[in-house]
Amino acid sequence: MLILQVLINGILLGGLYGIMAMGMSLIYGVMRIVNITHGALITLGAYITFWTFTLWGWDPFLSLPVTILLLFLYGYLLQRFLLNLIVRAQMYLTLLITFGIEVVMVNLVRILWSSDLRQVTPSYAAANFSVGGLTIPYVRLWVFVTTVVLSLLFLLLIERTRLGRAIRATAEELRAARLTGIPVGHIYAVTFGLGAALAGAAGGMWGMLFPMTPIMGRPLTLKSFVVAVLGGLGTMMGPIVGGVALGLVESFTATFIGPTYPNAISFGLLVLILIFRPTGVLGRRES
Amino acid sequence: MVILQARRVTKHFGGLAAVSMVDFDLREGEILGLIGPNGSGKTTLVNVITGMLPYTDGKVQFKSQTIQGLQAHEIGQLGLTRTFQVVKPFRNLTVLQNVMVGALFGARGGARDLASAHRKAEEVLEFVGLAHKAHAQAESLGVPERKRIELARALAMRPTLLFLDEVMAGLNPSEIDEAVELIKRIRDRGITLVVIEHVMKAIRKLSDRIMVLFHGEKLTEGLPDEVLNNSAVVSAYLGRRYAEQAHA
Amino acid sequence: MSTKRWVPLLAGLGIVLVLAAGPKVVSPFILQFLINLFMMAILAESWNLIAGFTGYASFGNAAFFGIGAYTTGVLLTRAGWPFALALPAGGILAMLFGVAVGMPVLRLKGQYFAIATLGIGETMREVVYNVEITGAGTGLVMPILRSPLTFFYVMLGILVAVTLVNWWVSESRFGYGLIAIREDEDAAAAMGINTPYYKTIAFALSAAFAGLAGGVYAYWITFIDPDAVFRMTTTIQMIIMAVFGGSGTVLGPLLGALVLSSVSEMLATQLATLADLFYGVIIVLVVLFMPKGLSDLIRQRVFSLKYFARNLREYRI
Repeated sequence: MLILQVLINGILLGGLYGIMAMGMSLIYGVMRIVNITHGALITLGAYITFWTFTLWGWDPFLSLPVTILLLFLYGYLLQRFLLNLIVRAQMYLTLLITFGIEVVMVNLVRILWSSDLRQVTPSYAAANFSVGGLTIPYVRLWVFVTTVVLSLLFLLLIERTRLGRAIRATAEELRAARLTGIPVGHIYAVTFGLGAALAGAAGGMWGMLFPMTPIMGRPLTLKSFVVAVLGGLGTMMGPIVGGVALGLVESFTATFIGPTYPNAISFGLLVLILIFRPTGVLGRRES
Repeated sequence: MVILQARRVTKHFGGLAAVSMVDFDLREGEILGLIGPNGSGKTTLVNVITGMLPYTDGKVQFKSQTIQGLQAHEIGQLGLTRTFQVVKPFRNLTVLQNVMVGALFGARGGARDLASAHRKAEEVLEFVGLAHKAHAQAESLGVPERKRIELARALAMRPTLLFLDEVMAGLNPSEIDEAVELIKRIRDRGITLVVIEHVMKAIRKLSDRIMVLFHGEKLTEGLPDEVLNNSAVVSAYLGRRYAEQAHA
Repeated sequence: MSTKRWVPLLAGLGIVLVLAAGPKVVSPFILQFLINLFMMAILAESWNLIAGFTGYASFGNAAFFGIGAYTTGVLLTRAGWPFALALPAGGILAMLFGVAVGMPVLRLKGQYFAIATLGIGETMREVVYNVEITGAGTGLVMPILRSPLTFFYVMLGILVAVTLVNWWVSESRFGYGLIAIREDEDAAAAMGINTPYYKTIAFALSAAFAGLAGGVYAYWITFIDPDAVFRMTTTIQMIIMAVFGGSGTVLGPLLGALVLSSVSEMLATQLATLADLFYGVIIVLVVLFMPKGLSDLIRQRVFSLKYFARNLREYRI
């Protein structure tokens, strides 16, 4: 029975990790940028949800579209007017600048909202239902459902719309995309905006499950990367597989080994995967 | 005397056989021309023999030493090296410094101190005609000169065997003539050469023998006149027009 | 050696002597500032070895700093070793860890290498957090040594050493090998350079000096815990200092450490958050406008806006 409970917890958490990783995988897949600001974008999403909840009493699930839109705009502008300037630079410079942006963002959050722990606690926060001896909190369940819906919407966007096609074309062959008239600067910005939007949505939901601090994003960036690499960087289904996998690993580790171990295991896993199978479970082998 | 013996050299990429069962010998001091259509496996063959890519199968002996399975740098230190089809200059170094790298790390481990490497590099730059640009940033040179840097770097390694991968691509006719003269002078220094080229005029002038690859396999090899008039070679690669012109 | 090489050596010696006399004339506050400055300069110069010269930008060198700190700390507190032995032990263990980790990780390309090293840094913190001998989450308390002079001279000594190593690398056959690897690794291998071996040595040296800096830090600060010594911020600072000053040069990282530490110190008296924010903004500006660092700016001798504008346009989409 315990095992089943741990399993369920892992899967529910995994959905959240999944959409976090989707944003990261998208940005890497299209622009070859490892987005270190990812965690800060999640953080921003969390705090925006917190703010609308605290100031105006907006239900955190219902305010998600607003968070998503705001993060999309922010991401679009960031890419269009800042990151597009260094896209062709050496990799470590790109990493470094996203680090710099992350530091600026985290510290702005710190200044605006202080370092105190915050959490979004709607009226139904503690409610749960029981099924055959298992306890499932409603919030977790709805978070999972939302992540599934968002994943499907996102996949639909990428696979079935003109925009999605333009994004995939740009990812595959930048010069050819340019030649066929695709406005690549704009497409890059849209891509980053989408990645940011997903991160923001993840953050908005995170705030309902766990307390938030300005630096909550840092381990999440790495975990998103673990998930994205596990599933295969640049693939779209990969992050979902990876997310659930990581969720399960963390859930079992926390319960059966100790609550301070999940992070160590996650990061250690990252290093091992990079060394032994950097293309992940679903990825293609880069030549 | 045979300096290189290659048997059954094979390289697969997944399902694709890029190089398949290629056998050939190289005699010391000769120039072997290596020709074939694009994608016939010439560069892959060089990459495999010089240790940049792992073999799928095959055995190669260089001066009676087995070299398949050795790493690229070990093979370089044995005196076997190559230039790259798409040149790879060390951009942030000067021309002289580029060549010094070759002098410092070449055959038998290269020079041990900077001063003698410096002298060797200067000598080689003089030989290829780039001495006047010794202190220019490699990045500032145009493609024909970058090819000479590549060549100089390889020569500074004191090689016994040198693979030249399309050094004449993109050169105009007078540059091609200069290149042919330079390659002849390299051979005169006692270096065995394998020259991969598409410029038939140059291949004809340079090669003691020619080997033809087609779809990764060796189609034929022999003296230039035989090979260039061989009907299989003509239809696979050269085209009827060339054969007619050659006979006219 | 030619006369050309004697001049910078003598100048360097002169500066070191001046610095060595420093403690006699400066206030205790400035003394502490200088110790911190030397430490950051050591980290920047050590990062320069693997990143600036060899082209492998490690984002996890704080791991080696932390290993040095904890090794020295554990030997001082639990094993009762004297500092004179515990410190080198810290450096050696950090170096061995660098070799062990370097061998698999240096085979990775560009961004994978960066992320892997980042992961290693984070993993180390979490692991140490869970281990008893290192005091786990509570940390370690060192025996107290009230002798800022000791720390000053030891840090200065290590700084001189790492700078000399950088200088030696820039003028040696080994250094040519590293630079060739940075410029084009395939061509370097074809030239006869044993790339895995060379990379590992550079990484090991980098780790060793970071470890030594950590060892001194532990004793100096008297208390360490996983969050303090395995900080991402430490890694970022050493990177931005090296890049700002000019990565791949001998003196660039020193210059970067000097300028950025000083400005950050002035801001830190205002607000800790402001100092962090400052670093973030500096990083963005440097990457956009002067990625080759101050050294390049000085070398070009052209102090015009065109230089910055050109850099801004160079890497755009």
